[in-house]
Formats: sequence, structure tokens, C-alpha cells
Amino acid sequence: MTRALDLAERAVEAAEGDEADAFVHVESSGLARFAASAVHQPTLIRNESVTLRVVRDGRVGCATTNRTDDDGLASAARRAGEAADSSPVDPGFAGLQEAAPVPAVEGYDEATAAQSPEDQADAAAEAIAAAPGLGLYGYYTSGVTEVGVVSTAGQSVSQAMTDTSVLTLAASEDSSGYAEATSWRASDVDPAEVAREAAEKAVRTRGAQGLEPQTFRAVLEPYAVSELLFFFAFTSLNALAFLEGRSYLSGRLGEKLFDAGFTVRDDGLDARSYPKAFDLEGVPKQPVVMIEEGVARDVVWDRRTARQAGDDHVSTGHGLAAPQQAFGPIPFNLSVAAGDAASVGELAERVGDGVYVTRLHYLGIVDPREGILTGMTRDGTFLIEGGKVTRPVVNLRFTTSFPALAAGLLGLTKEVTLVNRSDFYDERYPFGTLVPAVATNAFTIVGTGSGPGL
Amino acid sequence: MQDPAGHAIDAALAAGAGYADARVVRRRAQLVATKNGEVDSVSDSETEGIGVRVLVDGAWGFAADPRLSEQGARDAAVRAVAFARASASRANARVELAPIPPAEGEYSPPVGRDPMEVPLEEKIALCLRAEEGMRRPEVKITEASVRAMRELRVFRSSEGASVTQHSVECGGGIDALAVSDDGCVQNRGFPSAHGGSSAQAGWEFVEGLGLEKEAPRVGEEAAALLTADTCPSGITTIVVDAEQMALQVHESVGHPTELDRVYGTEAAYAGTSFLRPEDLGSLRYGSEHMSITADPTTPLGLGTFGWDDEGAPARRQPVVEGGLLTGYIASRETSALVGHDLGGSMRADTWSRMPLVRMSNLHLEPGAGSLDDLIADVDDGLYLSTNKSWSIDDKRLNFQFGTQVAWEIKKGKLGRMLRDPTYMGVTPEFWGRLDAVAGPEEWTLFGLTNCGKGQPGQYAHVSHGASPARFHDVQVGVRR
Repeated sequence: MTRALDLAERAVEAAEGDEADAFVHVESSGLARFAASAVHQPTLIRNESVTLRVVRDGRVGCATTNRTDDDGLASAARRAGEAADSSPVDPGFAGLQEAAPVPAVEGYDEATAAQSPEDQADAAAEAIAAAPGLGLYGYYTSGVTEVGVVSTAGQSVSQAMTDTSVLTLAASEDSSGYAEATSWRASDVDPAEVAREAAEKAVRTRGAQGLEPQTFRAVLEPYAVSELLFFFAFTSLNALAFLEGRSYLSGRLGEKLFDAGFTVRDDGLDARSYPKAFDLEGVPKQPVVMIEEGVARDVVWDRRTARQAGDDHVSTGHGLAAPQQAFGPIPFNLSVAAGDAASVGELAERVGDGVYVTRLHYLGIVDPREGILTGMTRDGTFLIEGGKVTRPVVNLRFTTSFPALAAGLLGLTKEVTLVNRSDFYDERYPFGTLVPAVATNAFTIVGTGSGPGL
Repeated sequence: MQDPAGHAIDAALAAGAGYADARVVRRRAQLVATKNGEVDSVSDSETEGIGVRVLVDGAWGFAADPRLSEQGARDAAVRAVAFARASASRANARVELAPIPPAEGEYSPPVGRDPMEVPLEEKIALCLRAEEGMRRPEVKITEASVRAMRELRVFRSSEGASVTQHSVECGGGIDALAVSDDGCVQNRGFPSAHGGSSAQAGWEFVEGLGLEKEAPRVGEEAAALLTADTCPSGITTIVVDAEQMALQVHESVGHPTELDRVYGTEAAYAGTSFLRPEDLGSLRYGSEHMSITADPTTPLGLGTFGWDDEGAPARRQPVVEGGLLTGYIASRETSALVGHDLGGSMRADTWSRMPLVRMSNLHLEPGAGSLDDLIADVDDGLYLSTNKSWSIDDKRLNFQFGTQVAWEIKKGKLGRMLRDPTYMGVTPEFWGRLDAVAGPEEWTLFGLTNCGKGQPGQYAHVSHGASPARFHDVQVGVRR
């Protein structure tokens, strides 16, 4: 029996109520953070926590603890019970997950799990050594995460996941370039290669010029596409937002809203991503096509929103653990279908004249219903002139409609890249988006900022 | 409790650390959230553990372990030393720490009614009553939440520091989301966007927020926004309410004056700063009306402490005085780099995160007069209220913020309501256009719990006090 299952079973046994379930998270990770080409904030984390949900007469209460001895679990059971007793009956409660087989998935690699702090420091050093002459900033991290769910309704599942990411910003006072890589297999990630990509891009950003704000044709690298897509998905491909009318897709299912080349799905079973067998309620993962050749088809669902919607809706396996379910279901395995462009160079040819964007910074949601996002470009923004990527430009403030951007696609690359989306807040749960680079005729710049560099 | 921090220090020194500190944290928190008249979440969480930070040959290492046993503490210490040693061979400079006297003592700010002891039933009832007041046909979603937290933090260092600190937090907020038949979506919240406002205080703070009292206005304004005109684009004078000013201070003064950002430590994630170490004492940050103070002694502040997470004592100090940059937010390491004693503001989210340079409480000092006085002097402009969206570049220069609502100002009077207002600017130019700050009677403290920074990411709880302020010649209505 895995550690997560053992803990979850003990927690459920400690609960007193009509029903109960337990979500367990176990983490062991190391992150070698570097700045100015020196490892500066190396962090090793071990933790395990249990979230216990207890149901008494239709009332639901939750308690979380990382004290996993018998006293700690008994205390959590008592507090969850008190929370349930204090609450009115929850008419939206969709019950606990029944016994259901979950798919076999990849996503665990022994060699990655075995990485030591020395290995992690060595990997950071490899990246640093590959960017001489520039300061290198970022991190190398790897870890093991195990999640498990046990419910009195019969579900009992666990999964161990490994993850590795290297993130690099090569920079000087007047230049900065960015690259990253991520995989559940450390052997897929070459820290030196990633750092070289960042350094090569940084050198090209020297001498950045301003430009007049307007709506541009643009090429967006996968890093930028990933961030825009996830912000859009968080607010629009989520069943709770959909049901509440906050989503861009609310009332628009079945309509052709985007370019015919734009297909978005969520597939927890895709081994190219961070595979997941079940969600944090223990529901088996189902692939969901949300946008099919430009037509809005669906959003992702958890047990609560499926019950709220009625009809024949069921959870698609995208629920969070109680009590985070107030955010609604989240697509943790987003992907955009590849296109036919052989390279970003071909995308630039399709753009003709426009801007080339490597990475974005500090996105804000201006209008979730209309999918309008704001943010800055950084670490590799260039002009595209005559179909070629030419001169560097300063960081650009964009305030743009994601639906308009995706409706105005000029192409997508054949190659798709997994982009890490976890910043490792709270408990580690590796996830990313699998996206191509895209070209669009609608990327709206409303201002200019500082130049590249520190 | 045993002394796991002491065991960790001993083990770290024995393993070869030149310096070591250890933090033991025990935290318990409750959240009650209701939505559309039903309980959305009732949760009670606890976490505890030890974080050990060491210097080996001038290089940092940090390891965290949930076990508050001697073994857990020693394991964390040994692992921290191993990580530091592995990193030290690649370090290109030794970390030096500015000297401070070893801290010793206990800190426990006064609170009234312990919010963790308030029955959950009472919290739920308050939320449901507040929600009820927001209901309108146009308001499709009403939400209310209250939170409470109690924390023990023990700090020991190999230099002899030994402090124990207790903190109690609570807060709450309400939000109304209105949706029209044609798909327009608008929201209003109180007393602050994004989860309300919190303080280090007893339950009387939550009761004093006035959630029930303000609920009808919040619901009415959310509904009214559905039929309001969209904020036009242009250059105009804006009066910004205290809540949005708190965000403005946080993003465009707080983060750029964090000295680790100035030195580039955050370059890959949160970003750097347009400021340079040599700007201290010479850079004009804004107009003469702009004075900003970092104050970890502020009563009720979420960033109030006796000592920071390096054992540096809380000290009030100016950051901007009359528009001139006179201070930074610093740590022992960055103080040593800059060569000035800038006080300590190192804070870690919890036991499993390494301390970072963090804001404590950062305030816009009040000027004079009332909000009405600020508005009365505007011939043509906008009054902006309550943050809705925020974004700022990696050097903290170019920003675009949106608020939930605006009102036209015509000839010194508030006029029609406007929806989807945004404004943008470049930090020192924007602050240079500050021509008035309202007085102490308008000064309000806001506490937020979601300031993100670091890799791995960590949240800080910080407070900002501000009065409404007026800026001329600002670009507004930049939404596309």
C-alpha cells in the first residue's frame, strides 16, 4: 500500500459521520534557485497532509492537518465533524466518489524520484555554466508528489508523480532572454540547452526600441500561448464560471467563436503532459474537447457543478479537493492542437509585419466574460518585418481579447511544447499546458514599458 | 514543546554550517464562505513544521520538515547543510550578513475576542446575513466570507537569538456579481476586492467591518453597473479611493523598493526594479505630496511583528519622504550589500519556505482634507473605487489597473456611474502627478493575504494604510 493510501484510509477510519472522504498529499522536492549565476535560495521540502471531509445529515465539514500520527488524524476528524455540525444542510453537495477504476497512466520516473540535493545543485550548475558572460536567473527543481483519495463510498486510489523543471532568464543590464523546459522525466530536460537558448535570445535583445501602440499581427512562442490559454481557461473553460454566466462560453456552446485551426482539449491521460489518473475528488479523468475546430463544445466539470447543471452532466474528473472547490473545476492538462507550420520562422512569414513575443509577465483579467486580458511582454520581444524576425523592441503592454486572438489565427506550429504552469505555491501538484507557437492577426498593444534587462 | 529549533541549530553547526537559524511554525486557520444563501465552504486547517536555514562556506541552504521531533529537526538541518554544501562550490560570492544584536523575548500583540474561539455557527450566520442584504434581481451571485488564523512562530539562531511570537488574524468581505440578460457581468465588493480585508485583531475587527450595513449598497451598485456607461478613454484627473491606493502603493512602491529585487534575486519570476542601490537618497519617486512609510509596528497590521524572520527588531522607517526615495525594504544580506542599516523585513510564508525580503505594513502617509475636498477641486475627472484587475511590468514601471466602478466628476461634484474603468501609467511619472492626499480622517488600513513571490512560491500577509489621493493628467479607459 502506498503512503498516500495508508494515510487516507487511517483518516477515513478516524472520521465519525454518515460519510467521509480523505485527500492526501505527500511531497518530497528540491529546488535549486539561482540568481546572478549562483545558487542562492536552495529549498528542500518534505511534507504530507490530509484533508478530511465529513458528512453528517447532509451537512459537510472539512479539516486539514499535516500531523499524521493518530492524535493528529483524530484531531482533524473532530474538527471536520464540528465544522459539519455547525453548517446547515448543503443542498449542492454531490456526494462522495463511488468505487470506480481509474486509468493506468504514466508520469512517474524512478530516476527522477531518486534525484538528490547534489543532483539538483549539479543541474543548476550545468545551466549556469552554459550561459557565460550573462547573469543566469531561475531554478532547477525536481520532486515526487503522491496523491491519494479514499471515500466511504468505495473509492480508493493513489498516484505518484515525478516532475522536473528548469527555468532560465539570461540577462545583463540591457538584455534578457528566456527559456524553460519541463517533464515528468528528468532525462528529458537538458539544463544547459535551456540556458543556451535563453542566452542566445538575450544577446538579440540589445538595443531595443519603442513602437507605437496598435493592434499587431504577432507570433507568440509557446511560453506566451500557455499563459494566455491558462488564464482564459481558468475563467472560461470552468463549469462553475460557465454556469454562473462569467465564462466567455456561457450561452455560446455550439457557436463557432474561434479560427477553424483552434482546437483545445484537456487530457489527463496524455503522456506528453503531466498525466493524471483521477482528480482530487477521486473521479477518473476523462478527456474533454472544449473547443473543436473553432467551435465551443464544452467546459470541464466536477461533481458539484455536474449536479448543479443537471441533465446528463457528470464530472469529467477536474475537481479540486474540498475545500478549494469554490474555484470550480480546473483543466490541469490543457493542450492546443498542432498546426501545419514547420517553425516559428514560417509563422513570422505568415505575419509579414508585426511583433514576436517570447514570454509574458503579470497577467490580469480585465473582463472575464469577454476574455480580455492585460499584461506585459518580456525577455525576448522583437519586430517582425517582411516576414523575418528583426529588431528588438521594449516590453509591451497588451490589453487584448483572447477570443479575438484565437479567432484571428494565421497559423500554429507542428511542434507542441509542454510548458510548466506551476509556481509551486502551497502543495506541489505538477501541471502544464501542451501548446504550439501561434501566429495571430489580433494582438493589441496599448503601451510600452521598460527595455529588456535587469 | 521540546526545543526542535535548538536541536536543529546544534545539528547544523555540527554538520559544518557557519551560521544557522531555525523557525518552528504552528498555524491553525478557519475559513467560512457562503454563496447565494448556502454554505460554500467550512474548513479548519492546521500545519506545523520546522524550516532550517544555514550558511556553509558563504552559501545558503534550506530544508523543511513537518516533524517537530528532535529527529525531524536534525534531519532538516543535515539536509540543509548538504544542499548548501552542494551549492557552495558554484557560488561566486560569499553571503555576508549585516550584524544585529541577538534578539530575545516574546511578542504577543493584544487582541480582543479570539476569532478562533468564535463558534462556526456565528461565523456562518454573519455571512448569510451579509449576503441577504446584497440580493437584487440583477445580482445573480452573492458571496461572503470570514477567516481566522492563529500562529505560533519560534525563532532561534546560532548567534543566540531566541524569540517566540504569537499572532492572531481575522477578516472578511462580501461580493455581489450582477449579470444582465445580454451577458454583461459586473461585480462590487466590500471592504476590499479579492477576499475582503484582514487584520491582526480579535473578532471585533470583523464585526466592525460593517459587512451587513454595507451589503445593500454593494448589491445596488453591482446592479446599477449593468446599465452604466463604459468609462471613456482619455487623459484626465483621477481621484483614487483608499482601497485602490493600497494596491497602488503595494505594486508600484512596495515591490520596487524590495532590495532583493533591486539586486536581481527575483529577476526570473516576480521581476526586478527600476531602482538602483545608488538611488537611495537621490531619486525623485513622486511629488512632494508623496510620503511612504514601512511600519511593522502598526496596530492591526498583518505585517506587524516583534522581530522579523531573521530576528531583526520591528522598526518604523520612511521609504519615500516628500517624493524622495529614502529607504528600502531589506534583509541582513541586502543591508550588507547596500552598506546601510535599513532594518529587517525578512518574512517566510510558513515553516516550509525560506524567508524573503517582504513588505510588512507599507503606508501612504495622509495629507489634509476630506475625500469631498479632493473631489471639490476637480473640474472634470473621475473618482475610481475598489480594485478589479492589476498588472505591472517586471521592473515595476508600466502598470494598468482596473477598478470595479468609477463616477464622473464634473465641476467638483460626483456625476454618473461608469463601468469597466482602467488607468495606466509609468510609476515615477504617475506619482509625480500626485497633487493631493486626503487627511488622517480618511486614512484606512487594508490587510491582504495573497501577495505572491519567490520560487517555490509563497504568500505574504501585508497591510497598507492609505487615504484617497488625486492625480492629474492620467490615461484612463485603456480597455480594448
